[in-house]
Amino acid sequence: MTILQFLEGPMFQAAFAIFAVGAIWRIAGILRLGRKPDLAPPKGSAVAGWFKGNLRHFFPRGLFAERTWMHLLGGYAFHLGLFALLILAAPHIAFFERFTGLSWTALPRWGFILAAEFAFAGLIVLWVRRFSDPVMRQISDRDDHLGSWLTFLVMLSGCLALEQAHASLRALHMGLVDLWLIYFPFSRLMHAFTFALARGATGAAYGRKGMNP
Amino acid sequence: MIFMRRVLILLAFLLSAGAAPAQETAPPGNAVGAARAATLDDILARQKNPLEGAAKRLPEAMREIKGKPVPLPDGDAGVPQLGTLGGASDSDLWRALKSGARATPSSSTAQGQLMQVLGEDWRLVRRQYLLRYGGYVLLAAIAGIVAFRLIRGKIAIRGGRSGRTIPRFSLSHRVAHWFLASVFILMGLSGLFILFGRPLLVDLLGRDLMVGQMGMDPAVIGTMKSVNSVMLSAALQGHNLFGPIFVLAWAIVVVRFMKGNFFQWADLKWILKGGGLLGGHASSHHYNFGEKTWYWMVVLIGLGMCATGLFLLFPMLSQTLAYHQAATLLHAIGAVVLIAVAMGHAYIGSIGMEGSIDSMLRGEVDENWAREHHDLWYEEVTGKAADHPDGPGGAAARTEGTA
Repeated sequence: MTILQFLEGPMFQAAFAIFAVGAIWRIAGILRLGRKPDLAPPKGSAVAGWFKGNLRHFFPRGLFAERTWMHLLGGYAFHLGLFALLILAAPHIAFFERFTGLSWTALPRWGFILAAEFAFAGLIVLWVRRFSDPVMRQISDRDDHLGSWLTFLVMLSGCLALEQAHASLRALHMGLVDLWLIYFPFSRLMHAFTFALARGATGAAYGRKGMNP
Repeated sequence: MIFMRRVLILLAFLLSAGAAPAQETAPPGNAVGAARAATLDDILARQKNPLEGAAKRLPEAMREIKGKPVPLPDGDAGVPQLGTLGGASDSDLWRALKSGARATPSSSTAQGQLMQVLGEDWRLVRRQYLLRYGGYVLLAAIAGIVAFRLIRGKIAIRGGRSGRTIPRFSLSHRVAHWFLASVFILMGLSGLFILFGRPLLVDLLGRDLMVGQMGMDPAVIGTMKSVNSVMLSAALQGHNLFGPIFVLAWAIVVVRFMKGNFFQWADLKWILKGGGLLGGHASSHHYNFGEKTWYWMVVLIGLGMCATGLFLLFPMLSQTLAYHQAATLLHAIGAVVLIAVAMGHAYIGSIGMEGSIDSMLRGEVDENWAREHHDLWYEEVTGKAADHPDGPGGAAARTEGTA
């Protein structure tokens, strides 16, 4: 078994298992926390508030839009770019197909490149802002930087292997992907799943009080 | 050798045949413009009757260059003769090809030119001059920084930090700066590997050091070539990918930092005092002459880098191969210059000068740092006299700073 076969086979499966079990464990833990019963009579729908809270937070409030435009642009560029790369890149689809048998239309090469440009530009801006903004610098810890760097290296190694001419570059990418999957549930990378819970909880509390989340 | 020459000539004929398929046969003696495989009989026949045979075999496209007959030693324009080494006109034929004889296009950028020799010149310039002197420039920059450190040491704030800070760069300035710096580092590292990877890894490290000096098995050169191949593939992909992001980051920095970076009268005084290195205090506004020069280098050389880089990234922009070759050379020269100066900029902006990095990390600088290095800006921002230690009231300033 070559290193690449190991990293794409048993190692990937183990890493994915840790990722899946860890993520489910953490989400279940958050859900099990529950909420204190609200004895006040409801003035609105908590469920509607949950959804409204989730959707509303995709856009900054007017007062904050001017101050957060950099975060907004960087955040959207990175996350949408990464999502497109992860789901719609031809090598990724071929890889998913090996495990699930499912396949779908891939982005053309120019689309892949464009998505990668957006994702990299966004991630670099977000990371740079993290240490340039005094407030962001204060609230950022090692986990934030490690998560950013690991994600960056996964993306970078994937793009460096774009020529698909060297197994070693693919192995480097797969090794970093495995590491990223293992690190994911123990870090703030979990925000990929927990953001909906946090926004929903805030939205539900506000919605029950009849307020705009 | 003779065989190879003839094969090459034959290949040239085949390529120049234009629309005529290679399989198409023409009656012997009537093969002008048509391509077909030469047999031994043909060759013997040509040698027997060189003038006629060769004249008819030479395609129209190769008989003249820009409407003028190809000059041949025997004066029979366009008619190569045969000799003991094959075609006596081999050299003339090749000369004609090298001079731009046109035929069926052999590549998308050759514009129908059968052979172009610019590649030899390009390779020569790249290997003999660019790699050598580019390497010297980068090494000189590193040596200069080390020498400066050893001679001048770390430039401390005279009188120490005051503990009071004044804002220097906004968050958008800082993000723009670090955005460009991050991409520049990625582009610089990948670009340097593309330029110097093979000469350093294979030739210097593998052939000269490992095999030549250390007496290792020559097979190690093959290993180094493989490593170089992998690294080069990665570097090229990375360089191409980050290129457009560099253009974006460069454009943001150019716009964001333009204000205050136009040269002023105070800059001339700053030059005359060597930025303070020649003694005395060199006054400056928000940016000193060195910073302004660096900014305009980034603007102008960066513009050239972006233009040549995009030109290389999208080769369909031009069909002229010479432009692409010139673009690679200009791109590399610009990169070497920018990287060399950027190393100095990074040194003096971080560990080389106390308090400098604060401006780009926190956006604020110590008052004493501002008074010392940007006194005119300090006065403008605070409304207070800089009272520089080397200027009037210097003693008082020193006392205050020390206290």
